[in-house]
Amino acid sequence: MDDSTREQIEGAIRNNPVVLFMKGTPRAPRCGFSATVAGILDELVGEYKTVDVLSDGKIRDGIKEFSDWPTIPQLYVKGEFVGGCDIVREMYESGELHETLGVRAEPVAPPRVSLSSSAARALGEALAEAKSQEPGSEHYIRVEIDGDFQHGLSISGKQPRDIEVALGTGGASLVVLFDRSSARRAEGLSIDYVQGPEGPAFKLENPNEPPRVKSIDVRSLKEKLVADSSLELLDVRSQKERDLAQIAGSKLLDREVQQYVLGLDKSTPLYFHCHHGQRSQQAAAFFLSHGFHNVYNVAGGIDAWSIEVDPNVPRY
Amino acid sequence: MGSSDIAGAIRDAISQSLPGAQVQVSLGSPGHFSIAVVAEDFRGKSRVACQRLVYRAIAPLMQGDRAPVHAVDQLTTTTPGVSAP
Repeated sequence: MDDSTREQIEGAIRNNPVVLFMKGTPRAPRCGFSATVAGILDELVGEYKTVDVLSDGKIRDGIKEFSDWPTIPQLYVKGEFVGGCDIVREMYESGELHETLGVRAEPVAPPRVSLSSSAARALGEALAEAKSQEPGSEHYIRVEIDGDFQHGLSISGKQPRDIEVALGTGGASLVVLFDRSSARRAEGLSIDYVQGPEGPAFKLENPNEPPRVKSIDVRSLKEKLVADSSLELLDVRSQKERDLAQIAGSKLLDREVQQYVLGLDKSTPLYFHCHHGQRSQQAAAFFLSHGFHNVYNVAGGIDAWSIEVDPNVPRY
Repeated sequence: MGSSDIAGAIRDAISQSLPGAQVQVSLGSPGHFSIAVVAEDFRGKSRVACQRLVYRAIAPLMQGDRAPVHAVDQLTTTTPGVSAP
């Protein structure tokens, strides 16, 4: 390791109480282990310094030598090497990490969860099957909810710091386990078992999930337009493209219209379209970040509209 | 080298550095392994120190871009008589 690399590493550790050497950034992690540690730090401390080792090969090799630790991520707190992903996760679960970081471990209340009778039946059957395959060990339903609100449902054993929720449904009681971060994200979760396009499947609905850009197909959009011709359908393309083809009832999203839309009630449904659905996704995300929570992107854009709804709108 | 050969190499490397250790290696996706080691050498040492002992033992298997061991998904280190977390 050359001197300037060493100085860079030492400087980062000296000047910041919490430093995470990771792959990518907390918002765009490039490796699952890095994402896990960043997610834990996001929860426990407001601000921390990150160093993206992928943007500098010298740092990437240097930090391994510096810490005598062969893997990334690596966490430093107050100048001390704490460890990699496994150690950080273990310390988080035991509450030790809170102490190291000087934050209080908030007690986690068991979340309120509702379970439909069809879901209770399906889970009961899955447990019975697990039991028949491995009669010796204990089996529980586990729900995992990651920072992006991706939900996982599995059968597993119990971990020491798990949060248990007992769900009584008509006689039989079912225990659902959450790790602590998942439990924090689970208040009001409902678990259902419904007929989907590819057979029956579990459906988890979580009221804590932040609003996302929803996708709408052109046929459903047509129905909405028929029902309400004044709905906000915003065309994010250029005037040139609009001259070639446009959907009746849409508005060009120019500066003026943007100001108008930003002034609308935040619950107003907004529909965005472009040529194929990519540019409009970005526009939709922009309005989502301004507090609108009924934001739709028209999948396939005006091209899909021409093919599936109105062949009189020319394709280009 | 196939995944089970690499698992064997991991076991051998750890057993050589930490005589008497019980080593369990399980396979993840290609190049990914989970390792559980129970060893007397860990007694009284911090978690970082315990994991360093294991990482040092398998360092030759993790070096370079085409290393047989691409990532250790999970590494647990315990002393005999203590139940694993």
